[in-house]
Amino acid sequence: MPHKVLVNAAGCGCALPLGIARLGADWLRAKPLAKSVLICHIRAMKDAILKIENLRVEYRSRELGQATKVAVNGLNLEVFPGEVFGFLGPNGAGKTSTMNVLLGFVPPTQGAAYLFGVDVRQPIARQRIGYLPELTYYYKFLTAEELLRFYARIFKIPRAEVAGRIDAVLKLVDLTDARKRLIRTYSKGMQQRVGLAQALINRPDLLILDEPTSGLDPIGRMQVRQIIQRLKSEGRTVFFSSHELGEVERVCDRVAILHQGELKAEGKVADIEQKYQCGLEPAFLQIIGYQEAAV
Amino acid sequence: MPSPRLLLTFLLVLCFTLAVRLQLWYQNWAGNRASSASILNVIIGDSRRMFANHFFTKADAYFHSGFYPTIFDQAGAPKKLHMTETSGEPDEDEHDHAPAADKSGKKPVFTDLPGFMGAPSDWIEKFGRNFLPSEHVHLESGGGQREILPWLRISADLDPQRVETYTVAAYWLRTQMGKVDEAEQFLREGLRANPQSYEILFELGRVWEENRHETARAINLYELALKQWKNSQSGKKEPDDFLLAQITGHLATLEEQGGHLAKAIEYLELLKTVSPTPAAIQEQIVELRAKMK
Amino acid sequence: MNNVWAVSNVVIKELYRRKDFYVLFILTGLLTGLLWSLNFFNDDRIVRYLKELCLLMIWISALVIAVVTAARQIPAEREQRTIFPLLAKPITRGEFIVGKFFGCWLATGMALVVFYLFFWIVTATRESNVPIGSYLQAIWLHWWMLGVVVALTLLGSVIFVAPSSTITIILLAVGGILIVGRHLHHAALQLPEPSQTILSVIYFLIPHLEFFDTRDLVVHDWGTISWVVCGLATLYAVAYTTLFLLAAWMIFRRKALN
Repeated sequence: MPHKVLVNAAGCGCALPLGIARLGADWLRAKPLAKSVLICHIRAMKDAILKIENLRVEYRSRELGQATKVAVNGLNLEVFPGEVFGFLGPNGAGKTSTMNVLLGFVPPTQGAAYLFGVDVRQPIARQRIGYLPELTYYYKFLTAEELLRFYARIFKIPRAEVAGRIDAVLKLVDLTDARKRLIRTYSKGMQQRVGLAQALINRPDLLILDEPTSGLDPIGRMQVRQIIQRLKSEGRTVFFSSHELGEVERVCDRVAILHQGELKAEGKVADIEQKYQCGLEPAFLQIIGYQEAAV
Repeated sequence: MPSPRLLLTFLLVLCFTLAVRLQLWYQNWAGNRASSASILNVIIGDSRRMFANHFFTKADAYFHSGFYPTIFDQAGAPKKLHMTETSGEPDEDEHDHAPAADKSGKKPVFTDLPGFMGAPSDWIEKFGRNFLPSEHVHLESGGGQREILPWLRISADLDPQRVETYTVAAYWLRTQMGKVDEAEQFLREGLRANPQSYEILFELGRVWEENRHETARAINLYELALKQWKNSQSGKKEPDDFLLAQITGHLATLEEQGGHLAKAIEYLELLKTVSPTPAAIQEQIVELRAKMK
Repeated sequence: MNNVWAVSNVVIKELYRRKDFYVLFILTGLLTGLLWSLNFFNDDRIVRYLKELCLLMIWISALVIAVVTAARQIPAEREQRTIFPLLAKPITRGEFIVGKFFGCWLATGMALVVFYLFFWIVTATRESNVPIGSYLQAIWLHWWMLGVVVALTLLGSVIFVAPSSTITIILLAVGGILIVGRHLHHAALQLPEPSQTILSVIYFLIPHLEFFDTRDLVVHDWGTISWVVCGLATLYAVAYTTLFLLAAWMIFRRKALN
């Protein structure tokens, strides 16, 4: 397993931490237990693939008597390579604002965010990520194939590889038969799948998914779950926001719970459940301070 | 509360009654554009005259191959439209029409620029003149004037009461393009719209005199033109003496050619009253009297 | 430039997959055909009115295509949320703007070629001597004028929210410049201060699009203008296009997309 992690890390072309670079032949000769200890050490040493430092996001408020609205307040977060990280919170918690900052749509009012050690304000920070928005709208006048070719060009994927990659992702999302049809003829589910395909075209090391199962039927949700698990097994990192706590429980390694712009809890699902002595959903409700209205 | 159906029926009957009553009045109403046969008249009403004027001016702009002042250059706009000049007439406008010697074979350029261009006031205007016609030229003779015809045709359609359109178009048709039949047809169309127009009658006379060489018919038309002139211009403060001179001049010439010297003298006497050179006319009269003896 | 061409490619595809161009071209063709069929005094060699009206329709159509296409780009991307998956990729906002510009400009250029080809065919039926040099200059300058207009429209589209506002304002501005632009200084000189200064400043600041309007020269067979002058006009267009795109980028890069 440790060896697999190393190979995947090398295959992805991630910048290896100095520790691993030094290990070299020693690593290959080390015993399994030593390797496990080393992995923990490596994880600790390894830079977070996604890092948010004291993030504050303010918007101009449309409400009377309020100049600005604070969407995110002093958020600190780290996501490490290879984990599936759930970003939870009720509506208006600041999840989308945080994602908007990560993706460069909105500049942070204070603080900073980094992807692969690069400030998110640099376009190159997005070279190795895939993004699936909550509402999947793509150019209706293009076919799925044309859309993927367009995005592949943005990622500067070599021409020789483009056709193969397009075939692979379309097969993965089961859109091979519809590849030549205009996107305006697609159903909502098909558009969601096109969205997934474009998020995977560059074989991203980090996948950012905004409510990936929103609006999907149970089969669709299962398919998305399977894709996330497959990506995890390939050593990729997945960062996604969701309201479907059932899904989160099944796939996530760690979660963060946001409420009113502030981080309320962070950690493994099991640890949170143990701490609050209940399932994830009741724990979530407790954390955000939800009280059922008296009948 | 009466039922909706009853109310609806009542309103329907009321509308029908009013329509029948008002229709009779509307058909007799002077401002009823719908009674006109022309669709243009119906659509744009009296503003068609404004458009007709615009297209008539456009024809003059075409006569100058696009070198023409816009409405913003009105200070320098020519007072007389060049295309309206008729052959043998003294040039009354301001421009010097002696073309520059042109060895390259290109169209003649009239070297004295009219006032509206002037010196450019800044580099933008100076540079901009490279993209506009900036030389005073006229359409080449021998048929080049055909380009003004569509605008004259449209102008006549929009304002059939504008007599000048017919006479100008007919002049160029018969003198430069050899289209005598078309010229006559157009003039007759103008005459139908303007039955009292001495200008059109005169121009028709010229068609029969200069192009068809039928003197008798030409004389008839000139006499009719003269009669219409007297009907419309007599008693005016500033009568159209220029055209009177034209009509009487032509009549005198034709009558003289036909041997009717007394009539020729009569027309010359009339011409003398409006001619800028009465002495010369008087000499002609004396000559004719001498011939009669 | 790779990203720029990728974005422009999508814009070009959008134009030829929408109906706008085909509708305008068919309308121009029908109207020109109607005018061509008119008989003026049985003379079938009259051609200048046809050239003028055909060129007028081409100018109006090309302007509508350019302005409507450009005005719609960024607002439509935001409204339809297609901008998010795009800007989540390694593409800068500057590349996005420039890509949109080139897409609109090239697409309009292609439309222009089709229009002028049609114009050439129509005039060739009446004129034996078709001045190719003049036509090439006319289409070149027209295309560059549309480049300035497209850049200005993109700037408008990042300032105004609704495409309809941008379209209206730009069409009015461009129409105004073409009709009265070159007369503003003369008008200013006749006004008292401070109107004179204000109008003079406007006169010197606006892009003088009339530099690119050689219709009168084409219609009345004035021959080609100096290629040096043509080159200078092109540089003038480049300058204004760059200015407008720079302004658009400076505004757009600070906009929060949420």
